[in-house]
Amino acid sequence: MNESTLFLITFILYIISTFFYFSFLFSKKENLAKTGYLFAFAGLIVHTIALLWRTVESGHAPFTNMYESLSFLAWSSILAYVVIEMKFKIRKAGPYFMLIVIGLMALASSPLMPKEATPLVPALQSYWLWLHVSVTLIGEAFFAFAFITSILYLVADAKEKKGTKPGLSAEKLDSVSYRCIAIGFPLFTLGGIVFGMIWAYKAWGSWWSWDPKETWSLITWFVFALYLHTRIVMGWKGRRSAYIAIIGFLAALFTYFGVNYLLTGLHSYA
Amino acid sequence: MKSLFKYFSSVKLAIVLLIIITAASMVGTLIPQQRSPEEYIAQYGRWANVFQQLQLTNLYKSWWFSALLFLFALNIIVCTLNRLSPKLKKAFRPRVAVETKNIEVLKIKEKLKKPMSLDSAREMLKKELSSRHFRVRETQMDNKAFLYARKRVLGWFGADIVHLGILIIIAGGIISGIGGFRWNLTFSEGRVLDVPRAEFKLKLDKFETEYYPSGGVKDWKSTLTVFENEKPVLSKIIEVNHPLSYKGFVFYQSSYGWDWRNPSVEILAKKREDSSFSRTMKLKIGEKVRLEGEDIEVSVLEFIPDFVIGEKGQIATRSLDPNNPAVFIEGWQAEEKLFSGWIFAKFPDFARIHSEKETDLTFELKDFKSSQLSIIQASKDPGANFIWAGCTILMIGLFFAFYWPTREIRVALEGLGNKVDITAGGVASKSKDTFKAEFKKITESIRRSK
Ligand code: HEM
Repeated sequence: MNESTLFLITFILYIISTFFYFSFLFSKKENLAKTGYLFAFAGLIVHTIALLWRTVESGHAPFTNMYESLSFLAWSSILAYVVIEMKFKIRKAGPYFMLIVIGLMALASSPLMPKEATPLVPALQSYWLWLHVSVTLIGEAFFAFAFITSILYLVADAKEKKGTKPGLSAEKLDSVSYRCIAIGFPLFTLGGIVFGMIWAYKAWGSWWSWDPKETWSLITWFVFALYLHTRIVMGWKGRRSAYIAIIGFLAALFTYFGVNYLLTGLHSYA
Repeated sequence: MKSLFKYFSSVKLAIVLLIIITAASMVGTLIPQQRSPEEYIAQYGRWANVFQQLQLTNLYKSWWFSALLFLFALNIIVCTLNRLSPKLKKAFRPRVAVETKNIEVLKIKEKLKKPMSLDSAREMLKKELSSRHFRVRETQMDNKAFLYARKRVLGWFGADIVHLGILIIIAGGIISGIGGFRWNLTFSEGRVLDVPRAEFKLKLDKFETEYYPSGGVKDWKSTLTVFENEKPVLSKIIEVNHPLSYKGFVFYQSSYGWDWRNPSVEILAKKREDSSFSRTMKLKIGEKVRLEGEDIEVSVLEFIPDFVIGEKGQIATRSLDPNNPAVFIEGWQAEEKLFSGWIFAKFPDFARIHSEKETDLTFELKDFKSSQLSIIQASKDPGANFIWAGCTILMIGLFFAFYWPTREIRVALEGLGNKVDITAGGVASKSKDTFKAEFKKITESIRRSK
């Protein structure tokens, strides 16, 4: 048994879960969704062990290269999913969300991602690495769910306008998107903005340096602030809200991937 | 004046500003910031000039970006204050008595009849609401009584607290921008340096670089001592992520280097004809040392850590890392120069020795050592404490805005002899479902009790 075997088992469990979820979508049998959920949960447990294993083996946080952080983001997403399912009971969004998780796991296992744990450069040796990255990624996992429910909203809304009844009502999807953002926004603020500033201050001596990764975190934060204000103060709901939530998640995605590959800056080692 | 105020208090302006600031921030990540004019010309050609004129190349510090942030801050202030006073009034001096029909229009409501006196119904309701942590206010008029129960009132002010936090962060940014500065101090071991704009000096006692077995740098550790009036007052080992703070200054382990001006080098002398001849010489720059058993003196004039020959044939160093170390040596016999030239540590066969007179000797650069330099960043950032205060307030505000939803319950009681009509209604701005459930529990409990 080693970390990569555990990772593989996790991946397989998630795939089985996705399979059950989609069969549920087509057959409408509640039991299939329950089985899918159980497999996702089992995957979460094995995944947790895999991450702990890696932490013990490498002696550092399990998100210091792209393979690790993709795996951690997949883990955060499942964790977020378990929370969301408990609170909002929205099984029918499960299959689509699982696709994101599968995508992350597939990217993590692609041969393009170096798997070996490398020693940390001095700046990364800090418990702020733990706090900053884990809280940010968990926040982003909730944004990811809001992204899925927002897309489903647009589909459901179009169907309702045509007079057909979608599987999940547009109203419910809209409300779950908002509530996911209400969880994701404080987490992202704490992890991505506040902890990021504290760590930058400790490591580089400056709490804000307009480095591209910082700037893109701020852009993401602004987009979700826009979402909240248009919704709370101007009463926007539905389509327009859904578009902003989608843009917000894409901004988060760009902060996560795009900045590393397309722009250069202080963060480029991560 | 009034319309200007109205404009600044509008959330529409906030939205417009948010969008513009976001777009500008994006542009700033696409155009590399604060590079040399030549780099911009190489990359953008004719546009380079336009970009520089519009300050897109130093965007985040440009006057127009600062102006946008300033407008944004102003907008937050006006907007928040504008909404604050009605909220404060509602929080501290709420209207307790409202018409029954105003309760009946609420979405969450319930009507009950109880066979009891007005007073006992009122007491019962008060007890029930208090037991669920509601704070109850009441008034009575003739045969009517009104209750206004509320909890988690701070939830109303969550957004205001968030905005306050943001304003403090912006203020901290301005203070740092005006009053802050940073400076690199380059130390060799044992050196004492003045800290700019400070009343004290700093000494590097010791500098160590720790390596991983694989060769990468694991950590840099500098032992620093603060001297005040020539007396040591404080010593601390600093490393990356663990700076030293003293009197408003913070000292960070920023980087390292080598003091290449004073290396000590080890040179191996050999003879072409005599393979048993092999002498090691240890030299410092500028020192003349006699080659053992020969009447020749050797000196090292210059050390270059990363030797390159530039475009114009000049000798230069490409970096400060020892990637291609070379020394310039000279050999003397009595007062006569025998040879001179460069020898390379990595390319022993590549020596470029120019001989004035025939000689049998060859030289190799075997080793070189120089003391390491520790580069410490001294910074004074008077805004930093505002930032941490602002962040804390921001997070507290977010908690109240999202997870401390205010709940209000209004009850009108109308007594008719020994019967009482109870009309109850609830208002919650957030998580209405949980509130609905709670409201239902309360009314059920009233219905059942005697
Ligand atoms: C990036 C900057 C900003 C952030 C992060 C922010 C954050 C927030 C948050 C978290 C809320 C509460 C939302 C909710 O209850 O769900 C809120 C509400 C609000 N914000 Fe902002 N805000 C920002 C800028 C502004 C600006 C510039 C204005 C100025 C017009 C503004 C006006 C408002 C108003 C009017 C509310 C509703 C207040 C209420 O519920 O009483 N915000 N803001």
